[in-house]
Amino acid sequence: MDLLLQLAINGIANGSHYALLAIGFGLIFATTGIVHFAYGPLYALSAYFVWMSVAWLGLPFVAALVAGVAASTVVGMLAYLWLHRPFERNQSPAFVVMIVSLGLFIVVENGIGIVFGTDTKVLEEVTYGIHFVGDAVISELQIAQVVALVLIGAALALFLKLTNYGKAVRAMTDNPDMAAVIGIDTVRISVLVFAIGSAIAAIPAVLVLIKDGATPAMGFSAVFVAFVAVIVGGLGSIRGAILGGLLLGMVENLGMWKIPTEWQSSIAFVVLFLVLLLRPNGLFKGQ
Amino acid sequence: MEYLIHILVMMCLYVILSTSFNLVVGSAGLFALSHAAFYAIGAYASAILIIDVGLPFPLPLLIGALFTAAIGAVAALPALRIGGHYLVIVTLALQVIVLAFLINAQAITRGPAGISGIPRVELFGLALDSPQRFLPLAAFFAAFCFWIAWRLTESPFGRALRAMREDEEATKAIGKNVVYMKLSAFALSAGLASVAGALLGRYVSFISVESFTIEETIYVLAMVILGGTGNLWGSALGAVILVSLPELLKFVEMPAEIADKVRQILYGILLIVMLRLRPEGLIAEVSRAAQRLAPVPAGEVPVPAIAAATPAGEITVSGRGLSKHFGGIRAVEDFDIDLTAGTITGLIGPNGAGKTTAFNLITGFLPPTAGTISFRGRSVAGRKPHEIVRAGVARSFQDLKLFTKMTVLDNVLVALPRQSGDGVLSVFFRPFRVRAEETANIARAVEVLRFVGLEDKAGETADNLSYAEEKLLVIARLLATEAEVLLFDEPLSGLAPTTLEEIFPVFRRLAAAGKTICIIEHNLDVIKRLCDTAIYLDEGRALRKGTPEELMNDPELAGRYFS
Amino acid sequence: MLAKSMKPLGFLVLALALSAPAARAETYKVGAIMAMTGAAAFYGTVMTRGAQLAIDEINAAGGINGNKLELVIEDHKGGKPQPAVSGMNRMINLHNVQAVLSSFSAPTLAIAPIADEKGIMVLNGGGVSAKMIGASKYLFHNRSLATDLARALAVRAHERGFERMAQIGIKDEFGDSVIAEASRIWKKLGHTVVATEQYPQGAINVDTQIAKLRASKPDVVANWGLTNEAGRIVKRMRDLGMKQPAITMEWGKEAKKAAGGKGDGTEVVSDFFAVTDDNPWGQRFAKAYKDKFGEDPEYYAANYYENIFVIAELLKRGAPWNGAAMAAELRKNPTFDSVFGGKMTYQSNGVAIKRVGLFVVENGDRKFVKLTSTKID
Repeated sequence: MDLLLQLAINGIANGSHYALLAIGFGLIFATTGIVHFAYGPLYALSAYFVWMSVAWLGLPFVAALVAGVAASTVVGMLAYLWLHRPFERNQSPAFVVMIVSLGLFIVVENGIGIVFGTDTKVLEEVTYGIHFVGDAVISELQIAQVVALVLIGAALALFLKLTNYGKAVRAMTDNPDMAAVIGIDTVRISVLVFAIGSAIAAIPAVLVLIKDGATPAMGFSAVFVAFVAVIVGGLGSIRGAILGGLLLGMVENLGMWKIPTEWQSSIAFVVLFLVLLLRPNGLFKGQ
Repeated sequence: MEYLIHILVMMCLYVILSTSFNLVVGSAGLFALSHAAFYAIGAYASAILIIDVGLPFPLPLLIGALFTAAIGAVAALPALRIGGHYLVIVTLALQVIVLAFLINAQAITRGPAGISGIPRVELFGLALDSPQRFLPLAAFFAAFCFWIAWRLTESPFGRALRAMREDEEATKAIGKNVVYMKLSAFALSAGLASVAGALLGRYVSFISVESFTIEETIYVLAMVILGGTGNLWGSALGAVILVSLPELLKFVEMPAEIADKVRQILYGILLIVMLRLRPEGLIAEVSRAAQRLAPVPAGEVPVPAIAAATPAGEITVSGRGLSKHFGGIRAVEDFDIDLTAGTITGLIGPNGAGKTTAFNLITGFLPPTAGTISFRGRSVAGRKPHEIVRAGVARSFQDLKLFTKMTVLDNVLVALPRQSGDGVLSVFFRPFRVRAEETANIARAVEVLRFVGLEDKAGETADNLSYAEEKLLVIARLLATEAEVLLFDEPLSGLAPTTLEEIFPVFRRLAAAGKTICIIEHNLDVIKRLCDTAIYLDEGRALRKGTPEELMNDPELAGRYFS
Repeated sequence: MLAKSMKPLGFLVLALALSAPAARAETYKVGAIMAMTGAAAFYGTVMTRGAQLAIDEINAAGGINGNKLELVIEDHKGGKPQPAVSGMNRMINLHNVQAVLSSFSAPTLAIAPIADEKGIMVLNGGGVSAKMIGASKYLFHNRSLATDLARALAVRAHERGFERMAQIGIKDEFGDSVIAEASRIWKKLGHTVVATEQYPQGAINVDTQIAKLRASKPDVVANWGLTNEAGRIVKRMRDLGMKQPAITMEWGKEAKKAAGGKGDGTEVVSDFFAVTDDNPWGQRFAKAYKDKFGEDPEYYAANYYENIFVIAELLKRGAPWNGAAMAAELRKNPTFDSVFGGKMTYQSNGVAIKRVGLFVVENGDRKFVKLTSTKID
């Protein structure tokens, strides 16, 4: 029984991590239609920015965090403007844009390896404690992951609902042609969502840096998970991305209660498969 | 030297992988991510059949291909039925689950260690144990698999596939079973990928799951995209380039620790640059020129296709109590309709009245919330659109949905019914019959074009036509289905009066030949002059039925609509 | 008169004879098939560093009989067979490589047939799983057989009086074989294995596995994680409130980092590289490595450093630059100096036996305790 509780706790924490990834990726995908493969390595880069700020620049952790988020935001915007925008202007088909993003993926992942080296980077200064829930344990880092999801999810939801830019983003997600027709500057909005999406990615990146350490190849599984969570949750829906991520985390953990852990990824996919069978457009459609 | 020949062998394998993946991604337009899984199944199935069952070459390869194709079909079927992004997840799931199975099912697959010691192929007493000796075999299979993919894309099946990629709804509306088509393309692609796997095992003598990860799928996808989706020569070229590029980059000298990473970066940059320079791919899809047409004798052109099976005056399509609700919206409510052979019925009413929805209900594009529809006395409720078309009820679309990248002739050709070339097995096992039918079909297609007056434009790409010519093509394509009941959705809207005068006789002759015709139109002149009867729809309900004059003189309708 | 004109000619001939060069100095190219890119790139980095350091040392001392060594590196992209095969072909054809340093199981198995066909000696210094033994008659391993280490770990746990063991390792050939062997020995010693968990290669998140380990309430955890995984597993155990001791087979700088300060008390049973006082060569190596790269050497760096010296030693013993000949020389005289201290001897199955030591982690670093045996009593 305590195993079940522990798995549930792990599931929610991991699920929050996946959900955060899904929100950023999903925002970009839903608004611009771009399958931003390079989201993975750019997420990794965020972790490295923060690490670098502490290890090389000697900044205190909070300042490093801010620097990391800021740097990620800038890189995300540049990725759109310099790489994707030219293809968008030429109205390149989605597949081509995806492979272009793959090219960026390869460049960034290997670039990280060259600049920072291939060993694992950790932040030894940042430690965290654990608390007991019955016989199960929750670490303060896991709490941070859940809290981050709640705060960021809420902030994004409010942003999308209440601000003018947020409404413009929703309009573009709904119908990009129409949005252009009514005068929304779609390029500006695209830059905005790339900025927001990349900034959001920096948070789970830092948490993973503290929890497990950063390696150059950490981005692949991140974008993979984000992609799956977004499809299952329903394109264009923040709620869907969150739920997709949480579902993935829960299934991965709870699904292992009685099943050998070797089958972890398979079970996750079987469940997702079944979810889509019931709701082919994902859990939520649109916002 | 051996190294170069080894690279050529790898190119052969990847040509097989990329052309087969192109069938799915390019020709069928399906986004699937399981190609490496099929590559893996082929490799493992073949190795197990060789080592554990002792089958001689080429049996393991062939059996493996059939097995893989079957798995592909079974896995894809639910996804293809549902559509949307489902296929991506299902194929991703397949990729993950297949690999997990290969690692964990130790008893069969030897688990993570992989299968080593796969015996080499022996032909005529010679063991193919070096790149030089293996190359001819690899090249043979590369050519053979390429030919299979080629044959498929050039066949009537391939033509229908291209149509489906452009507009799936229109393809259903001309009687094609799109699920079958997607499934066949997917299964065939899986089978071909497995051939590459079987060859890999025979060549390296060792296989393990590391060769078959999602990264491999992505690698092959890059070849397809780079080379040009939908063009098999392109994906072959993509394979050649992306296999040789990493090897060429090895000549770039660099400090050891970063050398390979730098080479990867260059690879990524080159990928981006190549796509930037040629976004449609290195070799864009070939637009197929029209066939050489034999001149058709002038004179009265007979109405193409079968004589109507129902004698004139009898009811062909009948709907009772049809309703369609979308949430709270009642698009169609309690709608009765009878269409009679040899007559032209008009369906009129304001925008949003439910006219197109009624068409969708009759032809199976939408399931009714309530009510019955029958054709020649038999219910067609629950049948798929393509089945209803084949039975004899077809419709056109208000937004045309022409296959704009195909020629005028192909637009009509693809709509002709009962083409054995629509079936994959016939394409390969009955080539002469398919060829003979194709010749006959071309002649029939030309007849149809002559019937609407478009035969001069047969070789034009559909998007080069004038608006009036497009409308004529819509009519021609619908005619080509040889359906007995023809439902036209605003076939004449936006045409000039002179053009209308030329087209009216087309409809009249169709009716005279016994076809059942129903037209949705807003142009009252057209209704008056063409229709024998008319139905007035508003807010989903049929308010009046009668002759056009009766409806137009009705005071209530005049107020609502005829002002 | 004839004699007079012969003199300068005589001098000329003599001069020519004396100045004729000895057999021209050659550069022998040693191949290395490594994980240079991808998820496991760390291994490629440290392995090639070790090998290159050895080559630099040997060349600086004048080479072997005047012949220098050069390293030719191919990338197997994290353990993939095809790039390994391409790389093997390339280095044989373009560089006349006769000895290759290989790494990872799948690439080694993939190039084994080529080694046999072309007579190339292959030296593996990474994980040794049973499958690779005998894959090629020219394949040798200078790391203890995984199953030997499993035995040593089980013996140690038994020594400490534990009853319930839980195991965690990678889901691959290597993980499978160590876990199986440790289970076997543990049960033979009369104890129980309460949980066995494995994770996919490269996986970072092992929370589920650790949760299950915890729920099984073991006395001791056999931690088969490699490099940073070893440290991360211990950290995760402590994160989840597990107080049980862990015994691992590896603990280097990466593990120390990943453990985040929670690794103390972990025992390490390993043919592990230790800078002990009775090992002057090891000390020199560690210093040279630290001077050049700014870090203490990793286990794998030491292994591949050692492999280069094995090649050098074979050449010194008179073997020509020919894979089959060098392999024959190795079998004839299978004992070599080991940078791990003392000597190592290659057994007939191609695996070298080295000293296995017991270490304990103190302040994050590995501290030598005593030598131990890979044989059960």
